[in-house]
Amino acid sequence: MDDIDAMFSDMLQEMDLLTQSLGEEAESAPLPKPPSIPDPQEMNFSIGFTDLNASLHDLEDNDLDALMADLVADISATEEKFATERDTFTGSAPVAPKPSQPQSNFSLLASTDTSRPATSYNSIAAPPLPPASKPSKDELEEQMKADKIKLALEKLKEAKVKKLVVKVEIMDGSSKTLMVDERQTVRDVIDNLFEKTHCDCNVDWSVCETNPDLQTERGFEDHENLVEPLSTWTRDTENKVLFQEKIDKYEVFRNPQNFYLWKKDKKSLKDMKDKDKEQLLEENFCGASVIVPDLEGVLYLKEDGKKSWKQRYFLLRASGLYYSPKGKTKASRDLVCLVQFDNVNVYYCKEYRIKYKAPTDHCFILKHPQIQKESQYIKYLCCDDEWTMTLWVTGIRIAKYGKQLYDNYKAAVRKAAGSATWANRTIQASSSASTPSPTPKAKAANGHAPQPAVETKGSGNQTSFPPPPPSMEILPPPPPDHMLPPPPPNTAKVNKFPPPPQFPQSSFPPPPMDDLPPPPPPPEDAELPPDFLPPPPPSLTSNGGEALPPPPPDPFASLPPPPSAPQNFASAGGAPPPPPPPPPPPTPAPAPAAHKPHDSVRKVAPPPLKRTTPQLTAPSGGDFMSELMTAMQKKRSHQ
Amino acid sequence: MAAWDLTVTVEDLGPDAPPLQISVASDLHIGGVILKLVEQTNLKKDWSDHALWWEQKQQWLLRTGWTLDKCGVHADARLVFTPQHKPLRLGLPNGATLKMRACFSSSAFRTVMGICRVLNLRHPEELSLLRPVDEKKKKKDKDSSEELYDLTDVPLTAGSVQALYNGMPAHFADSPKTEAVYKMLSVSLPSSAPEAIAKLYRPASVVDKTHIHTRWLDSSRSLMQQGIQENDKLWLRFKYYTFHDMDPKYDAVRLTQLYEQARWAILLEDIDCTEEEMMLFGALQYHIGKLSLSQDMVSSCQGMDDLESALKSLEVKMVGDSNSTDMLESMTAPELNDYLKIFRPKRLTLKGYKQYWCKFQDTSISYYKSKEDRYGEPIQQLNLKGCEVAPDVNVAGQKFCIKLLIPAPEGMNEIYLRCENEKQYSQWMAACKLASKGLTLLDISYQSEVKNIQTFLSMQRSNSAAPAAQTDDSINTHSLVSPRYQKKYKPKQLTPRILEAYQNVAQLSLTSAILKFLQIWQALPDFGISYFMVRFKGSRKDEVLGIANNRLIRIDLGIGDVVKTWRYNNMRQWNVNWDIRQVAIEFDGNINIAFSCVNADCKVVHEYIGGYIFMSTRSRQQSDTLNEELFHKLTGGHEAL
Repeated sequence: MDDIDAMFSDMLQEMDLLTQSLGEEAESAPLPKPPSIPDPQEMNFSIGFTDLNASLHDLEDNDLDALMADLVADISATEEKFATERDTFTGSAPVAPKPSQPQSNFSLLASTDTSRPATSYNSIAAPPLPPASKPSKDELEEQMKADKIKLALEKLKEAKVKKLVVKVEIMDGSSKTLMVDERQTVRDVIDNLFEKTHCDCNVDWSVCETNPDLQTERGFEDHENLVEPLSTWTRDTENKVLFQEKIDKYEVFRNPQNFYLWKKDKKSLKDMKDKDKEQLLEENFCGASVIVPDLEGVLYLKEDGKKSWKQRYFLLRASGLYYSPKGKTKASRDLVCLVQFDNVNVYYCKEYRIKYKAPTDHCFILKHPQIQKESQYIKYLCCDDEWTMTLWVTGIRIAKYGKQLYDNYKAAVRKAAGSATWANRTIQASSSASTPSPTPKAKAANGHAPQPAVETKGSGNQTSFPPPPPSMEILPPPPPDHMLPPPPPNTAKVNKFPPPPQFPQSSFPPPPMDDLPPPPPPPEDAELPPDFLPPPPPSLTSNGGEALPPPPPDPFASLPPPPSAPQNFASAGGAPPPPPPPPPPPTPAPAPAAHKPHDSVRKVAPPPLKRTTPQLTAPSGGDFMSELMTAMQKKRSHQ
Repeated sequence: MAAWDLTVTVEDLGPDAPPLQISVASDLHIGGVILKLVEQTNLKKDWSDHALWWEQKQQWLLRTGWTLDKCGVHADARLVFTPQHKPLRLGLPNGATLKMRACFSSSAFRTVMGICRVLNLRHPEELSLLRPVDEKKKKKDKDSSEELYDLTDVPLTAGSVQALYNGMPAHFADSPKTEAVYKMLSVSLPSSAPEAIAKLYRPASVVDKTHIHTRWLDSSRSLMQQGIQENDKLWLRFKYYTFHDMDPKYDAVRLTQLYEQARWAILLEDIDCTEEEMMLFGALQYHIGKLSLSQDMVSSCQGMDDLESALKSLEVKMVGDSNSTDMLESMTAPELNDYLKIFRPKRLTLKGYKQYWCKFQDTSISYYKSKEDRYGEPIQQLNLKGCEVAPDVNVAGQKFCIKLLIPAPEGMNEIYLRCENEKQYSQWMAACKLASKGLTLLDISYQSEVKNIQTFLSMQRSNSAAPAAQTDDSINTHSLVSPRYQKKYKPKQLTPRILEAYQNVAQLSLTSAILKFLQIWQALPDFGISYFMVRFKGSRKDEVLGIANNRLIRIDLGIGDVVKTWRYNNMRQWNVNWDIRQVAIEFDGNINIAFSCVNADCKVVHEYIGGYIFMSTRSRQQSDTLNEELFHKLTGGHEAL
């Protein structure tokens, strides 16, 4: 028990520290005026969580401005949109004056602590509320404690998520700056960029890295995570991230015959029927193992550590890149393995004729992704022409990634097709919301809706977000945008929840919770006396319970449980930005409870989006707890 | 109608008994003949499986409603009254010989179906029977010497759906003997001694590989028609290299036998692979062999495997869940602390190993000048995430080094860690291995990784001590590779290389390891090609035709190069001129080819092409119903017409 107490007070202390430090930030952060925007890096450091890449230094003022402008636009857009939605949705509820809308909306969802919002609540035909009993002081204290713990948990959880602010250069010379967290795949980032650039969203768009030292370029594969490779860049790197169309990214799936039947004469391949192409793909990508194109031929290899390039007869196999040594046959047993693909990536090179005296400029290299400079561990290869180079690079990618590549392609195609659908929809949405620039995230969520299969694990809030209601004619809610740094908490908090019409339990699934007994269903919560702590899921009590006061991360992650409601709500009211809803009308009992946490939350203003992200993604309560522990421990070791 | 005497030998009367003479008329039907015959023998027994075999014409008289006249049987005919099902010695893909009853009267295709039903092998259309290689050798090692599994007592069941009992088809659960047969079928057999492998026949060239096709049975004729006698030996092999709807849940025997066939194809150099691939195959064989040994009878069935994987995932979950409590108990994460010798090869320096106090925590090694300095700043901290780990071990020489290639922007940092003994080595090695994948010592696989390394080391020890000794625990690494590599490397050179490959597969479950093996096998460039020696129309030299599941390949014998590839989906039609035994194929774009077969029968080529086209018509939905008629249509040749 002592341990638990010690642990507990430790956590509280820590939390206080955090809130204090954050409070200072809160004053300036949400102000839309650029000069007062805290440097994101500084901000992150002050939070003390995020591992920021040095590339941040490269961010120019105008990028920051743009970032912030984006943010503010988002915020007001969501705000307004939200307001309009509210009007549309809760037709039965009395149309409240705008500032108070978030409140009533909130009560719709949580609706435990105040009797006032019961009007709208009842209009949804839920069981009537029990009269709000005055919670005892103990209960209040307990709840405060619980709230604090929850807050600490969130922050600690957040601490583990690595984020990078990435400047992406676009072909037309402009650039976009976006926040990428480590759970996002390249696919997510591309989708994000689609929102920002309004390009045609075809499958060829790729995020690429360039390395000026090595004069290389590589398109990231859609399933890769972006943060990991970027964080291995050196501090003074001049590497860049580009967003551009790369035809050879998925060419192999459009014209497999050019890769798999490359030996045949080009004419006969040109007018290959779609049916035959499909069959080729089926044969090579859908069997028990992926068949690698049977590439072979003479390439130039730069000798280890030497300047000369030697011709060798190379063969590509699923297990690696081989060449046949002089005087030997090309029988498998005689082949010498140049490199296997587990630990290396393949990069296109530019102007190696000058740099390394290569026979042609059609060169590619194979290297460990972490190697950033010239090294004996890089394999330099040179081809006679560009097409040969494309063949080999594509072949190596197939050998390395196998079926994943095909899956990526299929997902990209679905996405490209889907983008047309949701583009129309967002136009409607934005016009009715009378916002000139629709919020990126809202679009993203809509885009996901028609094809949930496309959703990837990495896309934090999108996947864990309860799927938008099927009745899409009505406006979908603008989901939170966690890609971007600090929007005011109210949007984030409020938007996190599904729109009112969705409320009836069935449409309110707690998606990522398979590992744990389901959280108490909402109606039950609603019937509890206001300040009742929601019972923690049983597995938690048995598991982390011995060591920790049992916070209920579960219901919190998917649903706003009663106790958190006033807190969030209060914070929504208290936050400064655009249309500031007034604080909740003081309700008899929970008022103190609602206000205390309110303070702490308000101070936390800048990072709330980040806070919401992890809890939304939290796969299970248990995991959540373990994450917390890890983070705690990390913190300790730093002290 | 005039009566005449028909001579019929009844085998059941004994080998020396004279043939019976029965008086028949030409309009008597076969059923009547049999009835008369049975009456005359005065033997009371179940004759239902018996039928008449016409020796001169080499054909069965199976249509009991046909008259003798219609069958063309006259007084000069010599008939034999014999059971249709006879014992056959079946050489299985895993090398074991199984004695079982098979049908000698129906087409070989149906016979294989019956055999597969008993063996619980799905998709019998992928398998066929062939005559064993080289009968001459048989004289040396007598038949009695080979281990024989017997299933002759097991009745051939008609039903296709097999009830499971004790995790195996009910007919195997009858006796311990049959249970042992099922185990042999469904669990991979231990490796053979390297000497035994070296003794077996290996094709030395593509030409050698074409010879196998002289041995396949014709799938549209019966065994008896093809001269197979009772108790003869035939091999059962996967013939068509498209394995439809492989499901570890139902395909325990199929998967194991396919693995065995693939394994032997690699060991006997039937399919070529590179050295790197051979090492990986060796490592997988070792792993599969080890897991198979530890499996007992029941666990060989799939239920157990499922359970295993379920347990594993549960374990993983538990780790995720319990991390918090674990970490609370020991607020310090586990670490390794020890004196190790470190060596960093640099150009132009001959500095040797130097001793440091090393600490392994999370995924990093920090080293200090001495134990006393361990609270200060380390001399260096090495983050092993993403690094390459290679063993550099010689048990006999008591050398236990870990070679690390740690990626850095400038290239790879090469660092050697030298451990004092096996125990220390296995701990640090396992830690390095996990750290390279971003896992810490907390990971559940750590302990098993340590154990794996120790097992492998002990294997090397026993090898170097007594190369011939072969116990259950230690396998001679020579038995995991083909004779070519047995010659090329000594066991102590081979072991570290296999160990290196082994570390990437050591975590696989038995089923996944087998699937992985098959996957790599199927990804080999030469996989699934059956070679035939042919002579193309208008050409004067012999060439090789490769037949795969989707294409035909013309190969130049001289250089072994692919000259031309034709794909089936461009094929308009193919014909066989049975008189001049020539195969003619027409492709889109007015491409016509014609060839005759040099050593194999052109019926085999015909069957291969038709067979692969049949295989491609199978769909997932109707995976259980075999369209026998279509198969016969596509492969039967003139018999089908």
